Amino acid sequence: MSIVGESVVRVDAIGKVTGETLYPGDFNLPNQAYMKILFAQHPHAIIKRLDTSKAEQYPGVLAVFTAKDVPNNEYGLIMPDQPVLCGPGSTKPFADRVRFIGDQVALVIAETEQIAAEALKLIEIEYEALPVITDPREAMKADAILMHPDKGSNVFGRYRIRKGDVEKAFQQADVIVEGYYQTPAQEHAYLQPEAGLSFIDEAGRVTIIVGGQWTHEDQEQIAHALALPLDQVRVIYPAIGGAFGGREDMSVQVVLALAAWRLHQRGINRPVKIIWSREESIIGHHKRHPYFIRAKWGAKRDGKVIAAEMEVIADGGAYAYTSTKVLGNATLMCTGPYLIPNVKVDSYAVYTNNLPNGAFRGFGGPQGAFAAEMQMNKLAERLGIDPVEIRMRNLLDEGDLLSVGTPLPPGVSIKKVVEACAKAAGWEKGENGWHRPAGFQVETGNPSLKRGIGFACAFKNVGFSFGAPENCWAIVELHGDAEIEKAVLYHAAAEVGQGSHTVLVQMAAEALGLPMEKVELVAADTAVTKNSGSVSASRMTFMAGNAIRGAAERALEAWKNEERPARAEFQYRPPKTTPYDPETGKSEPNFAYGYVAEAVEVEVDIETGQVRLVKVICADDVGKAVNPQQVQGQVEGAVVQAAGYAILENFIQQDGQVLTKTLSTYLIPTILDIPEKVQSIVLEYADPRGPWGARGMGEMPYLPLAPAVGAAIRNATGRWFDQFPYTPERILSGLEE
Amino acid sequence: MKPAPFEYYAPTSVEEALATLQSLGYDGKVLAGGQSLIPAMNFRMARPAALVDLNKVKELFYIKPTSDGGLAIGTMTRDSVVEKDPLVSERFPIVPYVVKHIAHPQIRNRGTFGGAIAHADPAAQIPALSVALQARFLVRKQGGERWVNAEDFFMGPFMTVLEPEEMLAEVVLPPMAKGSGASYQQVSRQKGGYAQAAVISVVVVDENKRCKDVRVVLFSVGETPILSQTARKILVGNVPTAEAIAEVAEKISKDEVDPGTDIHGTAEYRRHLVKVLVRRGLTEAFERAK
Repeated sequence: MSIVGESVVRVDAIGKVTGETLYPGDFNLPNQAYMKILFAQHPHAIIKRLDTSKAEQYPGVLAVFTAKDVPNNEYGLIMPDQPVLCGPGSTKPFADRVRFIGDQVALVIAETEQIAAEALKLIEIEYEALPVITDPREAMKADAILMHPDKGSNVFGRYRIRKGDVEKAFQQADVIVEGYYQTPAQEHAYLQPEAGLSFIDEAGRVTIIVGGQWTHEDQEQIAHALALPLDQVRVIYPAIGGAFGGREDMSVQVVLALAAWRLHQRGINRPVKIIWSREESIIGHHKRHPYFIRAKWGAKRDGKVIAAEMEVIADGGAYAYTSTKVLGNATLMCTGPYLIPNVKVDSYAVYTNNLPNGAFRGFGGPQGAFAAEMQMNKLAERLGIDPVEIRMRNLLDEGDLLSVGTPLPPGVSIKKVVEACAKAAGWEKGENGWHRPAGFQVETGNPSLKRGIGFACAFKNVGFSFGAPENCWAIVELHGDAEIEKAVLYHAAAEVGQGSHTVLVQMAAEALGLPMEKVELVAADTAVTKNSGSVSASRMTFMAGNAIRGAAERALEAWKNEERPARAEFQYRPPKTTPYDPETGKSEPNFAYGYVAEAVEVEVDIETGQVRLVKVICADDVGKAVNPQQVQGQVEGAVVQAAGYAILENFIQQDGQVLTKTLSTYLIPTILDIPEKVQSIVLEYADPRGPWGARGMGEMPYLPLAPAVGAAIRNATGRWFDQFPYTPERILSGLEE
Repeated sequence: MKPAPFEYYAPTSVEEALATLQSLGYDGKVLAGGQSLIPAMNFRMARPAALVDLNKVKELFYIKPTSDGGLAIGTMTRDSVVEKDPLVSERFPIVPYVVKHIAHPQIRNRGTFGGAIAHADPAAQIPALSVALQARFLVRKQGGERWVNAEDFFMGPFMTVLEPEEMLAEVVLPPMAKGSGASYQQVSRQKGGYAQAAVISVVVVDENKRCKDVRVVLFSVGETPILSQTARKILVGNVPTAEAIAEVAEKISKDEVDPGTDIHGTAEYRRHLVKVLVRRGLTEAFERAK
């Protein structure tokens, strides 16, 4: 069999291109009601009075729910620090306040969306304004107002790494390079804004059809907030229009469930539907964390980095979301995939009144990589060593110790990845190591158009890190008599557009020795599938593949024992990881990694400040490309999204208000803005633990792009820019200095 | 969002369209390609009581050569048709180049040449192009017609000299003079997005390479397309040296434009862009002038 490794047509392709596939907003049930949400609009305030009586009396309104209607008014993926609804009468302390403009205050359920929208305006609300803090560096100060008064500090995440002695090492260094890097927020801008439908199903369960990244986690959070047993809540994901981490936290899930449940308790058995507008989506879900990273690296004349000292501050926004996990990644990745004997990192996640920040493709990796790769490129320049050569002298090998004092898991391929990328981008290995004979500038024939080449590389974990419980279930059922006529795979993985369902079916077919047509997938319904973990951390192919192999093996065993249907389930558990030691950071952070390198060419118009990404070469070790076409799509998609992050996109918040709430003010790359050429070099150095050798790969190509662009701009213009996005005005004012 | 309620008329001839407009008076609004009007209605920024849709008026879709070497373009001619028409590129090579910068292909397939002019968006390409090329507009109403020069047509943002019962029927482009050259320069944050600053330059030189005429039209940096007077004063009658062009660019950016600050850029930056783009545009136009 060789279904794994084939670019088979996606199982969802025909439905999606013909428009038959239903997304959360496309579901309708007879007699459904419509919900609108009252958002805070105030970045920091106590709600002194909330009067919904006029809204309740408005013709066509079925109900208005507020904080007092939430049985257990808290939720949160890593800590329950966010009220479901903010306002008086809550079961939790300090839930009477709003902390960002997207905080949800009241739900209006009505016969039509228009009626609900009209009734929202009749809700009377009185705020007592509190000071607004939007800079985490201010929020860290001892006298800053507490966003969450029940916590003693606005710093809610804190890690330390202490390896060797950086002070001593700096004294021995031949050169020291310092930088202060600032990375921006980013909006996920998925095609499909948040939407869903809730109802009580035939078994009496509160059921929601919604888009998310982890059915069973949604189910748990809903059950927690509604104070219901887990099996009273059912979460179903249909096709989902993109996620990128932006659907890891709750948006409409809890309130949809709350609405259907409370109506049901009042004897009103009607489904409830909600579709967010683009503006509601942009203020209603989290963003990528802005980071402030202070870096000081020391190296010997031969290019060996001997010390790195980092201070990493993440703007967490109003609530934790996944900030502490994202910070964990950034803390590890801010010193790059390099063997550095002396490392000191202090990192902080801090509450502010900005939109909450959380998961977004790369999950702290891009911010960490930006600082690390800028530092490495500056060191190369300072020492007169080629940027590829200096990396080769510092990259981690099998058995080398990370900053956290333990080695990478087996299958370290970063040097081969860097080499493949460098070769494709015109580097050669000579007597003095790697160099690029053509240099780092490209002639354009136009004195105002300058072109430069930049290089960067990165590593990124596959799977949950730092001791987070990690496992994945699969169930396989074999039907038939003498021969297997049909196999059914039950799996909870969310299809967010990344192609997971196709890959699951490919892997099941391969494991069972069946053609793909005989494998049926029942996916992402908590009533019939078991916990798979989230589609995040580039983990699903890796985790699900191992789970499917286990389940398939056992199902075939049962088949041999004449069970009909032959059914087996299997839970894959990867090797354990461990959390940071609070003082030294010592840990076994991850069980698998992917490795990536990128070379880019940019063109800078030095008179207008415009930066154009001309060409990107991306080499990514994916272990095994289960579906090479989908892998290439992921590489190109990640590069384009990262190009938006680096150059075009510009998320602006001012005093806690969002100034870019639409896609006409928040610009993302269209097909006309993408690089002229993206060359994907797909490398397959097997991960010994991966299914068929596969590693994860959805995030990796995102990581090195921004620092590679930064290096290319330097080579084009002679200036380093430590802050992005590389907007024309930023470039121009930098060049004028 | 959905538009406010409106009445809808779909005439099949110019006469019928003009009669409908006459009877509707201030309540009537012409619908051409709808690429600007319909979004404005959906945002409730425009609330016409009645739409008079010209899409079924076949006689308004045409590109005809005029005997003097120019072109007559029917008001409903789609942007994409103008963009790809061989006669247009032969007689006015600058036109398809400018039209290509209007938004995206889907929009150019619906948007119309005359509709963009009548809509008078200060950030739109075709109004500025019509001023640069000294276009003349045939304006018709029931029982009458008049000709208006492009230069006199635009009154302010989304405001023109058109009366409610009138309709822009045809755009006539007079032939390019011998010794002409043209250039288009624009900068936008997102390709296909609105220009932060843009300039169309049309120049004419004599046998001695002296400037006979120069029309520099800026847009997206003021309330209407801006025809520069400075360029004329400094360049006409002279050899367009790099110094003279730089002086024009400097003066225009200082005195003749009025860009605002928005989310995509500051007024200062857009003023700076004007300086760069005028210099590049004039340099290129004079290089091309033959």
